[in-house]
Amino acid sequence: MSEKRLELPRAYHEAVVHWQTHNFPDYPTLEQVWDRYFPRDEPFCLCAKAADGMSDVIEVGELVGQPKATRPADLAPEAAHILLGQIRAQASTEFGSIQQHTGTFERAADPQDQAWVLRVMAEELRHGYQMIHLLTSTDWSPVTDIKAADMVEEILNMQTGSHVLAAFNLEFDSFVDNVVFAAFIDRVGKYQLTMQKVSAYQPYATSMPPMLKEEAFHLAAGVVPLRRWVEAAAKGDALLSMDAIQKSCTKWLVRGLEMFGDDRPDSHGGEDSVRLGLKDMTNRQAQDAYIAECQQMLDDLNERYVRAKRADLSRDDAAALYERVKRERTSEAGVEWPDLLRLPDRRFFRRRGEGAFEMWGFDGEEFREPEAYIAHVASHLPEAYRASVDVKHWADMLRKVHSGQVTRKDAIKSMPRLARVGGPCPCSRSVRWVVEDVAGPSGEASRLHP
Amino acid sequence: MSEARIRDLTELDIEGITRIDEKITGRYAPDVWEQRIVYYIRRDPEAPKVAEQDGTVVGFMLGEVRGGEFGLDEPTGWIEFFGVDPSARGAGIGGRLTEALLDHFRSRGARIARTMVAARDREIDSFLRAMGFAPAPLTALERRL
Repeated sequence: MSEKRLELPRAYHEAVVHWQTHNFPDYPTLEQVWDRYFPRDEPFCLCAKAADGMSDVIEVGELVGQPKATRPADLAPEAAHILLGQIRAQASTEFGSIQQHTGTFERAADPQDQAWVLRVMAEELRHGYQMIHLLTSTDWSPVTDIKAADMVEEILNMQTGSHVLAAFNLEFDSFVDNVVFAAFIDRVGKYQLTMQKVSAYQPYATSMPPMLKEEAFHLAAGVVPLRRWVEAAAKGDALLSMDAIQKSCTKWLVRGLEMFGDDRPDSHGGEDSVRLGLKDMTNRQAQDAYIAECQQMLDDLNERYVRAKRADLSRDDAAALYERVKRERTSEAGVEWPDLLRLPDRRFFRRRGEGAFEMWGFDGEEFREPEAYIAHVASHLPEAYRASVDVKHWADMLRKVHSGQVTRKDAIKSMPRLARVGGPCPCSRSVRWVVEDVAGPSGEASRLHP
Repeated sequence: MSEARIRDLTELDIEGITRIDEKITGRYAPDVWEQRIVYYIRRDPEAPKVAEQDGTVVGFMLGEVRGGEFGLDEPTGWIEFFGVDPSARGAGIGGRLTEALLDHFRSRGARIARTMVAARDREIDSFLRAMGFAPAPLTALERRL
């Protein structure tokens, strides 16, 4: 499938570049390392891409067979409203993940792992650019009173703590998070983009294939370092432990599950998007497939661990040993069940959707006492994250829900307040700044260094 | 047993491909396949194909379109690595993998596919000939160093 490349109008392009100078200062390094780590790959391009040759008729829902919309005004108001929310949320995740990666990017122990994450960050920047292109290349006035420049500024002003989805409001604690995030959270991204390939809004549908091609590498940039890490842990590397990997997996898997939207079995979450032709799976269907894929990922990692731990065993014997240890939750021949990676119950430590502010344990066991449950959850989380405002806020809300001080509905709506939210980031008006700058008396655009 | 499904390769196929390679060669080389598979995924993840049967990878074919190698400027679809689980052979999986990869090469603008086969690999040679490949007017040369 061929693709077109598109650039934003200058003011918006400059606004994204301006955002990059503040939020992604390592971006120029990518060009320096490209030939070493990605020899002969097509050079990175900060641009929007649109796939050619995709269906121009609606593929799912109640309008199957009708022409896809090429302008928001062509969509039913309900569909247009949901679509705008999808684009805004997608944009938030793209820019948000770069802010998260930046915090611990420097701590990579392996230059290749670091170069891979750097490329992931650059491609997320391109995906954010893509979403801004969708917001600024057409007239959204039939859908919203907010001007394109204001929508873009709102997105570029978001920081870790003020993004749309909780997974993008958590700080990374170490480079383990950079890698585990790519394996778990980018995987949710893959599901969202895949579902949206059928979108009844043609410009959005054609944005998906180029993004999905890049997303495939992002998942590999998570899984492959993890595979090497579990091997190192099996061989006794004192710097990497299965426990640290497990706790990071737990931290991200739980927030990843919430990215699918309301997943309660009786909630019908996502059915409107399917009916309106914007996605081809409901929230629960997509989440079920995601969980199965995460389980396969952990099984593969565990098999890699067992093979490294017991290099003397044949493949079949090692696989049989893994199956026995997993099934019987035992320790055998040097492989201990607590060292193997596991997915928590889908209701564990949830703040939205199924199990939100209920007390379901890692293995699906039910707790009765909030303090016992908080201690249980804390024991499964990375130490640095455990001490964060994010976990503290959840624990406070859980206590209030179970003492009757706060309703579950209000707790779900409540987000931890991070000190930097609403801070004086000069990027908040970056589009207008650039516009004014471009139109300045000298007639030349100059760099902004607020 | 259901019929194998041909699909694009993903990063979660590393374990399955490593297993097939180990069955064929007797060597366990996960690190080699990790690097190889990331190479193809980052360059064109829609090119490499795997065959999946009842949730298990039973075959793979890795390749991509490149131009400029060996003075051959035209876009060429290169088939570089492939294998079918010995227990799944004889069901046409190799042929279906080849057709899927060749279809992709065509969609990327290639009008010719090329590969190389070691002289000792008679089985692979006859498979490729059965798939329509013929000796090329090129000579593979080597020198010991």
